[in-house]
Amino acid sequence: MITESTRIKMRELAGRYPNPRSALLPMLHLVQAEQDEVTTEGIAACAQELEITQAEVTAVATFYTMYKHSPVGKHHIGVCINTLCGLLGGDAVYDRVAERLGATHNGPSADGNFWLERIECQAACTHAPVMTVDWEFMDDVTPQSAVDVIDKLAAGEEVWSTRGPMIRDFQATEHTLAMAEDDLATIGNCVDEKMLAGLKIAKSGAQQ
Amino acid sequence: MTIVNHNEKIDTVNVVIDGIEMEVPKGTLVIRAAEQIGIEIPRFCDHPLLTPVAACRACLIEIDGVPKPQPACAQVLSEGMNVRTQRSSEMARIAQEGVMEFLLVNHPLDCPVCDKGGECPLQNQAMTVGRPDSRFEGEKRTFPKPINVNAEILLDRERCVSCARCTRFAEEIAGDASLELLERGAQQQVGTANDEPFDSYFSGNVVQICPVGALTSASYRFRSRPFDLVSVPTTCEHCASGCSLRTDYRRGTVTRRLAWDDPEVNEDWSCDKGRFAFAYLANGRIESPLIRENGELRSASWPEAMHFAAAGLAAAGTSAVLVGGRATVEDAYAYSKFARIVLGTDNLDFRARASSTEEAEFLAAHVAGRKLDVTYTDIETASQVLLIGFEPEDESPILFLRLRKGVKRGVSVHTVGPLYSLGSEKLSAHWVKAKAGSEAHAISGLDSEIVGALDSNSIIFVGERAAASPGALSAVSRLGSQTGARIAWVPRRAGERGALDAGAIAGLLPGGRPISDPTARSEVAQAWNIDADSLPNVGLTGTELVTAIKQGSTSALVIAGVDPSDLPNGDELIAGIENADFVVALENHHSEITQRASVVFPVAVVTEKSGSFMNWEGRSKPFSAAFREALTLTDAGVLSMLASAMNVQLNGDTRALRKELNSLVPWSGPRTDVNNHEVHAPAGTTLATWRLLIDSGVMQEGEPHLAATARPSVVAVSAAMFEQLGKPEVITVTGPKGSITLPTQVAEVSNESVWLPMNSPESHIYAQLGCGYGQAVTVKGGAA
Ligand code: SF4
Ligand code: SF4
Ligand code: FES
Ligand code: FES
Repeated sequence: MITESTRIKMRELAGRYPNPRSALLPMLHLVQAEQDEVTTEGIAACAQELEITQAEVTAVATFYTMYKHSPVGKHHIGVCINTLCGLLGGDAVYDRVAERLGATHNGPSADGNFWLERIECQAACTHAPVMTVDWEFMDDVTPQSAVDVIDKLAAGEEVWSTRGPMIRDFQATEHTLAMAEDDLATIGNCVDEKMLAGLKIAKSGAQQ
Repeated sequence: MTIVNHNEKIDTVNVVIDGIEMEVPKGTLVIRAAEQIGIEIPRFCDHPLLTPVAACRACLIEIDGVPKPQPACAQVLSEGMNVRTQRSSEMARIAQEGVMEFLLVNHPLDCPVCDKGGECPLQNQAMTVGRPDSRFEGEKRTFPKPINVNAEILLDRERCVSCARCTRFAEEIAGDASLELLERGAQQQVGTANDEPFDSYFSGNVVQICPVGALTSASYRFRSRPFDLVSVPTTCEHCASGCSLRTDYRRGTVTRRLAWDDPEVNEDWSCDKGRFAFAYLANGRIESPLIRENGELRSASWPEAMHFAAAGLAAAGTSAVLVGGRATVEDAYAYSKFARIVLGTDNLDFRARASSTEEAEFLAAHVAGRKLDVTYTDIETASQVLLIGFEPEDESPILFLRLRKGVKRGVSVHTVGPLYSLGSEKLSAHWVKAKAGSEAHAISGLDSEIVGALDSNSIIFVGERAAASPGALSAVSRLGSQTGARIAWVPRRAGERGALDAGAIAGLLPGGRPISDPTARSEVAQAWNIDADSLPNVGLTGTELVTAIKQGSTSALVIAGVDPSDLPNGDELIAGIENADFVVALENHHSEITQRASVVFPVAVVTEKSGSFMNWEGRSKPFSAAFREALTLTDAGVLSMLASAMNVQLNGDTRALRKELNSLVPWSGPRTDVNNHEVHAPAGTTLATWRLLIDSGVMQEGEPHLAATARPSVVAVSAAMFEQLGKPEVITVTGPKGSITLPTQVAEVSNESVWLPMNSPESHIYAQLGCGYGQAVTVKGGAA
């Protein structure tokens, strides 16, 4: 059920924009934070709060791939298969993870606790191949290290992003995305030498 | 008065299309300019009445100096632009061919079973600008077929070319954004939310504008091939909007109706009632004249029935004529003449609904004989619009669409009434809250800001319901003269405006001529070739007339197209008919009236006759018979035969009647004013009600899919009343005759009124409650 406290947050989000319907994207994340997916009920709630039709909400909710229409489970696993990650082993990582989870692209694991998705470039090519867990980065993964992460998560052990905060769960992340809470942004090493290498070269004018 | 400056200079640009030099107004799209010189650029998503989206890319053309092909439907011409279409540009030709090939990748080979086959833009354009062969060898995308987007409209998703015409229509034109493009990429598809169908009074339009066979209607799907149909232009008989429609028939049966292009009236649109409600035309017709013998109706030959009717009318006492609001102008005119010349009576009315003396005065003063005083086009540039006792979305849907167009251009709408409806919302209207029945107070108490802004460029629309709100029409009349705002009366039924001008109401001769005015009498007498002295004096109308029939002071009746259940005092009418000396009914279907009539004559329906309707603007909308071979007679034809059986010559020919009526140019003499009528809204809670567009109307019978799109029957109350009643799930409303219990809907309703539909399933106001709009009712939470 969409609780009254979620409704209050929805209204707060709507109040952040000159045109309330601009708040639809974060509101849909809020629905996922509460219900682990975008439910019909959640769509109805967004439509009601924004005074738009359910069809308009459905159009948005089905257009963007970050919105899911069946339960995601405890964790969302993304494996980048775009050019750089792909070349550096992303496809192999994806295959192993899929096998481990018993999942296919954009679907739940056999036990329903995970959701697997092939994802597009995350602008993290420096540390390719990358995997995301609840949209936090796992840099420079190998098929084995990726599966290790999943095993740990499955066992309920503590897992940290290679450059960010501790992994919580999908719904917690969705709440962060919805409300644009930024208190997690400063945890960990977000920027390292490797990421800045290209910038340094550019600044030195060496590429000419 | 609008001042149109004909010397106003329009900015233009000089362009070249396929080597042809043109000067076009600034802002013209390439595709429109090309049409003007006969160059057809292929298109799917383009529609002149929808905003360009360039979604389908079928219309790619080359522009000198622009490296890539551009969509002609979204490209505005600028000075000096040199455009090459597929006719002169290889780039454009190849681009169009490529797009067509891509569109066909996922398109099924359904043509042999597809409704659109034979009139399909995709078929046609694939032949003209596509490749002869497909190079695609993969598997096509498929979907389980078809899905219902509402009860009447079906969608075959694999046929869709994602042009977004349907979704733009829904959002921009109808204001019902419940049809959307869902998903993305190859999975992109039209659809609705899980919980909400495409809820719109205008849903059938998407079938017509879909450039492929993706959207079809349950009523026509798989019924016919377009090339087997005969198409006839016609005028819709359902309401006073006056839409141009096209009737398609096959072997004597209407298979479908489409909106026909009439830029002045319905543009390219129609409502779902006009489009889908035609089964009644064929079902359950009365086939031969019937006469009553020993209390039973039996069929009779025409001559026998004529003599029977003539003798009966001649022997009876004072007579009256009631013609419902559905007659064509010509038929109404024939009734008007028949009453005055043959029966020698002015007891006459076309208003088979709640009416009042105040309304008759108002119509005589402001409406009769005034043609095109206010038009659809005027709405787009009006300074302000006031709606009084009028719910355009339900009662004149095409006027509603034009109002929406106006609102988009900045026209502000104020609606005076007890309910802020869905329609008001879609017009972003400002609500002048009024207790049902006390509209007059609300009008006199209008905000000085609103009144101050009313001028000759403002329009006051008054609906038929204003007649049920004492004092409202005289208040409107005063407001009009005080501010100069123009007044337009919008009846619901298609025949009312014409019947008024034809003089089918006591006190008024054709063209708005007062029957009490000697000049008016002599003008009409001359046209009718009779002695002015033989014209009757002012007779009875409305309630008084029905009472006279009931009391027997009027004992003979000619009655046509009247359903007593539409009248607040329908029971009196039925009692009167039972006691009357003689009743002649002209009808195409059996009714409460025919069951009690002395003689019944079957008459033609709109597909079987020619004629015209006059819409609310006072615009004449002529139409011809779809089935010319039909043997049925028009009302005028029957009246003419009856007249001659009574030894009076009355021409029953439609054309002759129209010509004669047109020769009686509108009255320019003095008009009577509207008296100041007293306002007497009852104390306590009053009833707010009107007929929904899709309801239990008899002309909608036989089309279950349409009926299933109707809005649910509910009782609407304000949040405050809801609280007061203890938040009940159902509410019971009780009138003098009985109660109605329906599910609760909390809405923006005046705290002193309660709303329920007038003639919908389980909600037949007159029959069940025994009272009408603006009258006192009691309201109680829960069942009776
Ligand atoms: S259903 Fe028809 S009108 Fe709607 S987007 Fe598809 S092709 Fe266009
Ligand atoms: S708006 Fe009126 S005239 Fe037009 S199609 Fe509908 S019922 Fe017919
Ligand atoms: S390709 Fe994977 S992050 Fe850029
Ligand atoms: S008609 Fe121009 S893009 Fe569709």
